[in-house]
Amino acid sequence: MLNRSCIRWPGVFFACAVWLVIPVFGFPKNPADEHVQLELISEQNAVVPGKELWFGIRIDLQDGWHTYWTNPGDSGEAARIDWHLPAGYEAGAIQWPYPERLSTPPFADYGYQHQVLLMVPVRPPAGLKEGQTQKIGALVRYLVCREVCIPGRKELELSLPVQTHAASESRELFEATRSRLPRPVPPSWRISATSRGDEFLLNLRIGKLDKEPEFFPLEAEQIENAAPQEATAIPGGIRLHLKKSKHLLKPASRLKGVIVISPGGGYLLDVPVLQSGRDYTQTRH
Amino acid sequence: MNRNLIHGLMVTLLLISSAYAVKVGEPAPDFQATDSNGQMHKLSSEHGKFVVLEWHNNGCPYTRKHYESGNMQRLQKDWTSKGVVWFTVISSAPGQQGYVTAQQENEYLKQMNASPTAALLDPQGEVGRLYSAKTTPHMFIINPAGVLIYDGAIDDKATTEQADIAGAKNYVSQALEEAAAGKPVGMPTSRPYGCSVKYAH
Repeated sequence: MLNRSCIRWPGVFFACAVWLVIPVFGFPKNPADEHVQLELISEQNAVVPGKELWFGIRIDLQDGWHTYWTNPGDSGEAARIDWHLPAGYEAGAIQWPYPERLSTPPFADYGYQHQVLLMVPVRPPAGLKEGQTQKIGALVRYLVCREVCIPGRKELELSLPVQTHAASESRELFEATRSRLPRPVPPSWRISATSRGDEFLLNLRIGKLDKEPEFFPLEAEQIENAAPQEATAIPGGIRLHLKKSKHLLKPASRLKGVIVISPGGGYLLDVPVLQSGRDYTQTRH
Repeated sequence: MNRNLIHGLMVTLLLISSAYAVKVGEPAPDFQATDSNGQMHKLSSEHGKFVVLEWHNNGCPYTRKHYESGNMQRLQKDWTSKGVVWFTVISSAPGQQGYVTAQQENEYLKQMNASPTAALLDPQGEVGRLYSAKTTPHMFIINPAGVLIYDGAIDDKATTEQADIAGAKNYVSQALEEAAAGKPVGMPTSRPYGCSVKYAH
């Protein structure tokens, strides 16, 4: 009720925001906390010296709310993580599961509803001693939106012992998320892209499909995010018609993105764009 | 008869084509809108001047970043003092975040010490949809010849954090400086960042 009026009446937004930070009646500190929960989790229950392990930021969203993919689409912003790791640790990049298209015509965003795990591989140093406790910290900055958007900022922490062996703890969630990470395209696939007029033709010679695939661009402002991706049949596969972004002033040399097929999952594409109408096919090496 | 008919057709065609292609390098489509003081503004009446369009929603955290820091007001002041016309455009529909009455907007401008040339009220989203304004903020620049020369973000730091403004490259100032010096705009488009414009459904 309070929050609704805060959102509906921007005039009182500031007053509400100030009021909300006063911790009375157990009100959370950040307005975003009401709609999203974040937790830092580890796939393993211990750190093994020198052995890569996976951490994840689990984001649980209230119904109707969403957060964003690495390319957020027409609006929004992807989450960022600043790691606070003990000396000698190396953290990799966020492994983004493929998103869903969040359509609010005339726009479309790319993101996640309900729950997402942002997985990051981390390598601890080899010289750790058994029995030490490792304190892992992460500052996550994120945006959650419904009709309105609320930025959030959360400090998360986790302690793990150093052991010579580790057991899996949150394996199911990590495995489920891995199945949504884009994979390299299979060697048998032949994929090409052509620029024709105001569209890119993405030719996917990948055999028969039960359902039309969906393309998610990794680079902003290459295609019109909200435009329908029309699919037509070509020998050995399917062609997606992707409308060029009006912000694309120079010819795009490559199309990078994730193609999601069902069943199958997400595949990472990075193909050169042929500027003429000739159909050039790139095979994977 | 023929001349008038042909002229009318050409104008219609121009309007149609422009409505489908607000594109950098092409003529910016004309529009008219009423400001928060009840005054009517027409883009084509500003021919001969640079015009900046700033899409606005006072509840959006990205808009608030640039207003609560004073960044947007500074830009408005700097550029209007150099003869640039600055229109803040509010396309939030009634009941949506950022929708304001004329009086509320005038109070906001005063409270924020903001000084655009005018704050245009576009609750039906006509100007917003004509320009395909996606986010708040989303910035457009039209040159004195009426050609769109910039369409995109306010700067290169797509965050809600005020601390990022100091180190950001402001695309609007950069484009205006280049264009005013007779140079081509080096970065004529970018991904606008912010909240989606809250159009009527």
